Amino acid sequence: MDDIQEILEDFLIEAFELIEQIDQDLVELENNPEDLELLNRIFRVAHTVKGSSSFLNFDVLTKLTHHMEDVLNKARKGELKLIPEVMDVVLRSIDMMKELLVGIRDNGNDTDVDVDISGICSALDAISQGNDIPTQAKQSSQEEVAVASEEKKQDEEEIDYNNLSDDEVEAEIERLLKQRKEEDKKRKANKKKVTQETEKTPAVPDASSKPTTAKPKANVPAKKQAMSAIEQTIRVEVKRLDHLMNLIGELVLGKNRLLKIYDDVEERYEGEQFLEELNQVVSSVSLVTTDLQIAVMKTRMLPVAKVFNKFPRMIRDLSRELGKTIELKITGEDTELDKSIVEEIGDPLVHIIRNSCDHGIENSDTRLMKGKSKGGTIELKAYHEGNNIVIEIVDDGKGLDPDMLRNKSLEKGIITEREADSMSDKEAFNLIFKPGFSTAELVTSVSGRGVGMDVVKTNIEKLNGIIDVDSEIDRGTIIKLKIPLTLAIIQALLVGVQEEFYAVPLASVLETVRIPLEEIYTIEGKNVLRLREEVLSLVRLSDIFGVERVLDNSEHAYVVVIGLAESKLGIIVDNLVGQEEIVIKSMGDYLKGIEGIAGATIRGDGRVTLIVDVAALMDLAKNVKVDIRATGESEAKTKDKPSDYFVLVVDDSKMDRNIMKKAMNPIGISVVEASNGQEALNIVKSGEYSFDAILIDIEMPRMDGYTLAGEIRKYSKYKNLPLIAVTSRTSKADRLRGVESGMTEYITKPYSPEYLESVVRKNIKLLVG
Amino acid sequence: MNNKLNQVLKKQQQQIDEPEIEEEDVIQLVGFIIGNEEYAIPILNIQEIIKPIDYTRVPQVPDYILGVFNLRGDVIPLIDLRTKFNLDPIKQNGDTRYIVLKGEDNTAGFVIDRLTEAIRLKKNRVSPPPETINSETGMIYGVGKRDDSMLTILKVEVLLKRDF
Repeated sequence: MDDIQEILEDFLIEAFELIEQIDQDLVELENNPEDLELLNRIFRVAHTVKGSSSFLNFDVLTKLTHHMEDVLNKARKGELKLIPEVMDVVLRSIDMMKELLVGIRDNGNDTDVDVDISGICSALDAISQGNDIPTQAKQSSQEEVAVASEEKKQDEEEIDYNNLSDDEVEAEIERLLKQRKEEDKKRKANKKKVTQETEKTPAVPDASSKPTTAKPKANVPAKKQAMSAIEQTIRVEVKRLDHLMNLIGELVLGKNRLLKIYDDVEERYEGEQFLEELNQVVSSVSLVTTDLQIAVMKTRMLPVAKVFNKFPRMIRDLSRELGKTIELKITGEDTELDKSIVEEIGDPLVHIIRNSCDHGIENSDTRLMKGKSKGGTIELKAYHEGNNIVIEIVDDGKGLDPDMLRNKSLEKGIITEREADSMSDKEAFNLIFKPGFSTAELVTSVSGRGVGMDVVKTNIEKLNGIIDVDSEIDRGTIIKLKIPLTLAIIQALLVGVQEEFYAVPLASVLETVRIPLEEIYTIEGKNVLRLREEVLSLVRLSDIFGVERVLDNSEHAYVVVIGLAESKLGIIVDNLVGQEEIVIKSMGDYLKGIEGIAGATIRGDGRVTLIVDVAALMDLAKNVKVDIRATGESEAKTKDKPSDYFVLVVDDSKMDRNIMKKAMNPIGISVVEASNGQEALNIVKSGEYSFDAILIDIEMPRMDGYTLAGEIRKYSKYKNLPLIAVTSRTSKADRLRGVESGMTEYITKPYSPEYLESVVRKNIKLLVG
Repeated sequence: MNNKLNQVLKKQQQQIDEPEIEEEDVIQLVGFIIGNEEYAIPILNIQEIIKPIDYTRVPQVPDYILGVFNLRGDVIPLIDLRTKFNLDPIKQNGDTRYIVLKGEDNTAGFVIDRLTEAIRLKKNRVSPPPETINSETGMIYGVGKRDDSMLTILKVEVLLKRDF
């Protein structure tokens, strides 16, 4: 039973691979009806499926494929002309074959799916008999003979079996299948799925090697295929590759961490011997990790042909359905990209191409009137551009009319009149991605149900991709998709916002600029920046994410310009950390789908950094209404009695602290003590007290007075806090340094208690007391 | 000497045998304090208990979600049970711990004030939550009675369920 199951699985994998290609071949065949090589290949597919299904007792499937074989065989021998009507029937029968195979996969038999093949069988029969030619009697009346002779012909091309009789051929098939069963067993035992079907079953030229080798060109002779397929490939479960990819992700994190540690060590032990050795190890580890990452990524790569293959058939069906003549040109189908992305881009592409056929390409009469060629062309191109793959869908149809788009959107209330007026043509094209927009005058079965392009856009953006439209009336439309090669590891720009860090996918970052705050203007309550010839909306990342504002606004702002398709947004951050390769980690179900956050990553220091969801950020930015230039002065608590005032005394000598405390006693204010800069900074940061002044000694362990003053001045709420240096350093240079670091007053030791008292009084503005 | 050894061995054997008899009706819990109350969670739901580590704030979430932290390469949400129970926040101190709970599809860390002990409790000492508490959505599994105190046993699946 297990053996049968194994054979069945092999059969299904093989069959699905075969029919995937058959669609493309059939459509090509219609264009080149004389191409015998193509015909032979299609015939072989039907034949292989028939042989295997009869062995596995799938009667319905056998019957169907048998009838198909009849028709194809006649066509192969030139006894039947493949006119479109015939192709329709053949294609329909292939669809049924697919349905049956799906049924077998899901139910284990071909009877449960309830596919009625009697109609199609008689249609196929009608074709093979209707276009009757003298040899017909021999062909259709005696099935066995037909099958056998096909077998013969088949074998003639592949291997020298042509001397065998009909029975022997049948026996040979049995033998081959049995042999394969044996091989399967062996393979299982070795836990290696090395596929070498080609050497054993001549009827299956290249099925097994397909996942890894690029699809052979249609006109490559079958024998060459068989030869190239001998190179060994291994089928690997996707799950294992995913696991491998996760492990590599961990390794990349480790590598980042190592690099960071090396930087720290380098600073501390500059010039030491071991540093050089460490440097070599770190570099080689990081190099190997990068190579490994690329190598594993490559194993997950599939040619985009996997998706493109279904389009020739789709275009053919659509053009017949719509009564238009449309030609599909595919280039760059060998371009490879990550499996998970290949799976995701199929549906969006189907949508775009359907749209192009339905709304883009005009019917033949209109085209002739416009002086264009009778048939329309849709080009499907794929190519690499840096770390992205670009897929272009180009049609030479009627193009998008920006004015029509504006009017339509106005009518539907998607945009306001003012927006419509100020909109560039390029922006107008992007209206097709708005929810609830459909340009088709008539809603047809092909497209135009009002959903579609907006879903396409969301799907592409989910892949961190960008979608772009360009069009010219009567010249056609170009839709360009730009998608990163892989999803798991991306390049990101790390930005700092107050004390937090965020990662922005580098693919969405257009540029970063540093601007003085004066260059920010306010229009209708929105902050904008004039960047070269453009006006860019600005928003602070801290306002979007509600980051607590602790640090001071500097005179300058860093603006990260992010772009998705045509929309741009400037995001103000406090600093730019740098570019880093990050591994995207999910935050689990509990925190899934938080607006504005696409995921998280673990940085070199082991801390978690959140990854910004650029598309969601743009939406969120619309609701932020904060004037960036307005400084948020928080109203101070009213203090009525002297003991409401707090002064922090920072000095490493307890005696000095006591002297200061005594000096301030007459004022009656509350005093908090700290014995060094670090401790003082922690007290200030904790926000436990709101200080009115800080007395700082300069020379202290752990953190000196200058550093402390500098650190405190970084916080916006302490911008005007009096910092009074109390020190025995009296040189001018010391005083200057004190001013530089943000000290307000400078008291030199020794001092009289009265002087200190008056200085403190003056600074905390408590004159009566 | 030999006698003693035999006694010890016998005792050990008894210990091994005994739990099997009572296994059925005893639940093992880990007790901890939040505010002034003692709570408990079935030990089998606890993946680990760790000392506080740095976490990263996550925007746009309720305030009881403090953020996410890195647990050996996994990004895990951190939930403050004090805030969730509407208690005033306190500063984390030396007794603070994160209890990492593992549910069917979620893992999350919970901040607690301090741990008490591992508790073995007979099932018949656990009574259902008071009827005034909705047993469907409430996070209380039951109330465990001990010799000198009571403890509230929490429902792990409810704690781990996203409710915003």
